[in-house]
Amino acid sequence: MGAPLIQARDITLVFKSKDREPITALRGFNLEVGKGEFVSIVGPSGCGKSTFLNLLLGLIKPDSGEMTLDGSPISGPGQERAMVFQEFGLLPWRTVRANVELGLELKGISSPERAQRATELISLVGLKDFERHYPHELSGGMKQRVGLARALATEPEVLLMDEPFAALDAQTRDLMQSELLQIWERTKKTVLFVTHSIEEAAYLSDRVIIMTARPGRAKETLKIQLPRPRDYEMRLTPQFNDIKSRIWDVLKEELTSRVLQ
Amino acid sequence: MKRLANFYTEREQSILGGGFILLLIVLWELMPHLVPLSKGFSLFFTTPWKVIEAGYQLFVENKIQEHFYVSSIEFLAGLGLAIIVGLPLGLITGRSRDLDAMVDPFVTIFNATPRLIFLPLFILWFGIGIWSKIMIVFIGAVFPLLINTYEGVKNVDRVLVNVVRSFGANEWQIMKIVVLPNSVPYIVVGLRLAIGRAILGVVVGEFFGASKGLGFMIATAATNYKVDVVFAGAAIFMGLSLILTMAVKKIESNLSRWRPEEAKTF
Amino acid sequence: MKKKFFAEHRRFWLGLGSVLFVLAAWEVLLTYVFPLNPFFFTKPSLIAVAFKEQVISGALWGDLAVSSKAFLWGFSFAILLGIPLGALMGWRRKAGYTLDPFFTALYASPLVALAPLIIVVFGVGLFAKSVLVFALSVFPFIFNTFAGVRSTDRLLINVVRSFGGGEKDLYLKVILPSTLPYIIAGARIALGRGLVGIIVGEFYAASEGIGYAISRFGDTYRLPEMFAAIFLLMIAAVGLTEGMRKLENVLAPWKTTQESR
Repeated sequence: MGAPLIQARDITLVFKSKDREPITALRGFNLEVGKGEFVSIVGPSGCGKSTFLNLLLGLIKPDSGEMTLDGSPISGPGQERAMVFQEFGLLPWRTVRANVELGLELKGISSPERAQRATELISLVGLKDFERHYPHELSGGMKQRVGLARALATEPEVLLMDEPFAALDAQTRDLMQSELLQIWERTKKTVLFVTHSIEEAAYLSDRVIIMTARPGRAKETLKIQLPRPRDYEMRLTPQFNDIKSRIWDVLKEELTSRVLQ
Repeated sequence: MKRLANFYTEREQSILGGGFILLLIVLWELMPHLVPLSKGFSLFFTTPWKVIEAGYQLFVENKIQEHFYVSSIEFLAGLGLAIIVGLPLGLITGRSRDLDAMVDPFVTIFNATPRLIFLPLFILWFGIGIWSKIMIVFIGAVFPLLINTYEGVKNVDRVLVNVVRSFGANEWQIMKIVVLPNSVPYIVVGLRLAIGRAILGVVVGEFFGASKGLGFMIATAATNYKVDVVFAGAAIFMGLSLILTMAVKKIESNLSRWRPEEAKTF
Repeated sequence: MKKKFFAEHRRFWLGLGSVLFVLAAWEVLLTYVFPLNPFFFTKPSLIAVAFKEQVISGALWGDLAVSSKAFLWGFSFAILLGIPLGALMGWRRKAGYTLDPFFTALYASPLVALAPLIIVVFGVGLFAKSVLVFALSVFPFIFNTFAGVRSTDRLLINVVRSFGGGEKDLYLKVILPSTLPYIIAGARIALGRGLVGIIVGEFYAASEGIGYAISRFGDTYRLPEMFAAIFLLMIAAVGLTEGMRKLENVLAPWKTTQESR
């Protein structure tokens, strides 16, 4: 792998709340991601996978442990990391174009440069005819494409994706997965992808990290030995099924243990 | 010490809010002692304690009871009339598109204008007895009731209506089984708004054309520079308004328990 | 062809027809059916004549101008003070907790009850009327801005922060646009209440203004003129209110609250 791009060591995070017991979201969480890798994180509900992504994004700080990107510690949001959100997070009063330009605007990039960059990305995600539309006029899949374009606009090194396709219907989801892979092949970003879907994780990633139930840590990592570029037919092969069942075997233990709690 | 801190964090909201109000009242009371007041200013000035005293005096001397009684009658009669007229009209216009179209321009126009504008006209027609006030209360309160009932009826789930209809219900039964229960939360909101307008009607109506009533009492006190009486009267109105509004809000929340949080837009 | 024309805009025609019918019935009833006692009733034709006279002589416009001036002063101050206050309450939780009960109590009370006092203290004229308008119209601005700021989508705040946005960016790019529809709705409610203020102020002790005109016409039993003035105010009120509604629709596809009517 070479030197990992992202390194998280011994991360612990506790959510304190006024009326309830404190909740330990993550405990002793370790993770490494190499440059250009596509890594998925799966785990039972509430295991802290989205929380970890937010930690990496820099919006919250861990109670203990360290996270570094390319050797430097992560201390807040930064241009090298961009997130694609599950609920899209598009500003409803801005057009598609203005939404895509948001990150560039906040960086102080000049208007003509922004416009050019936005045009490129809007084409990349296939929304060229919808530049001037507003979010409420778009379907879920289209909204997420805007989210993706916006995240890519600031040219981050790392793309953090928090269950980005969970709010979409099954068909759109499949479509978006293939498109994501195509875009990834072209842009060569490092991707950390959180999902509930074993199938999605197996299909998209180089490696799948399976988390324990809360308090979460990395339980096991599986390397996905499927050739790239991947296509839809691969999902129908017995080899793919085998991968899925291996992931499921590991994950299953966490699900039952949680139910008994 | 920690117990005190916990007590505070649990009730932070009410402590800050209540504390602020208390602070203002105390400052108001102490103001003449803290800040020298010019002669002209002190003519118009009063303090909370004096207001309470004035109120008590009025009560003890039996001066306020009659005014209160008259105002109450005007309020209740006007509001009652508004309910009797507004609710059925709201129900019908909600169910009938055509009727709604015919009534809508009037509702829009009258709702947008301050209904108090008709006060001189009502005084002309009904004199300065209680009827002009009842009418102004009526015309103020009828619109929130009508409009909110209308909205409640219109917003009824079509699916539910179809379900009941598929069991062979006629229009009247649909109204009773589906539309009315569904509209109740809306109607209660309308009632809350109507109460506010009704009190407004009583107050202003009694300022301008009355010989009795709390508003009349306030107006005369003002011209006689009896500022404490003015505030006493105003405080009674405010108190009543708050009590009634809170009572209706409580009913509202009890009746709205079945509604999903999202649907509560008001 | 004719049938289609009427059918398409059925609602409009029914409404118009109903208004015309009422006016016609009013005229007919008081001309041919009931005796017209000029001290108590009047009819549309007479009102129209009075309206024309008043408009031509400029008397009504003068009154309207005086009322408008007082209204605008009070209303402007309500905006200038109400919106920042509401924003403060929405943004800083403690400020919200402290001020909310106090303002709620004032909002729910019939502040007009203090109108005689205001007139007695400040005398008759522009200042007293403006104070009354201000006192009545400031609260919708406070509370609607408060609600608007509080309802800002947390996700959008996170999005802007994740792109490195600072406090200023949050205000300008998220909170302000998000709150705007609420403020406009508040303006509409404040408008209604402010109108009450100006009318009450002018009934009570004024020598100019539309409210004064109406009450003066009433005292002198000049009913057609009185109705003319009432209609003028109605037109103005409806115009302003509907104008606000259109503005609301343009600025947001957002559900209006029941308080709105």
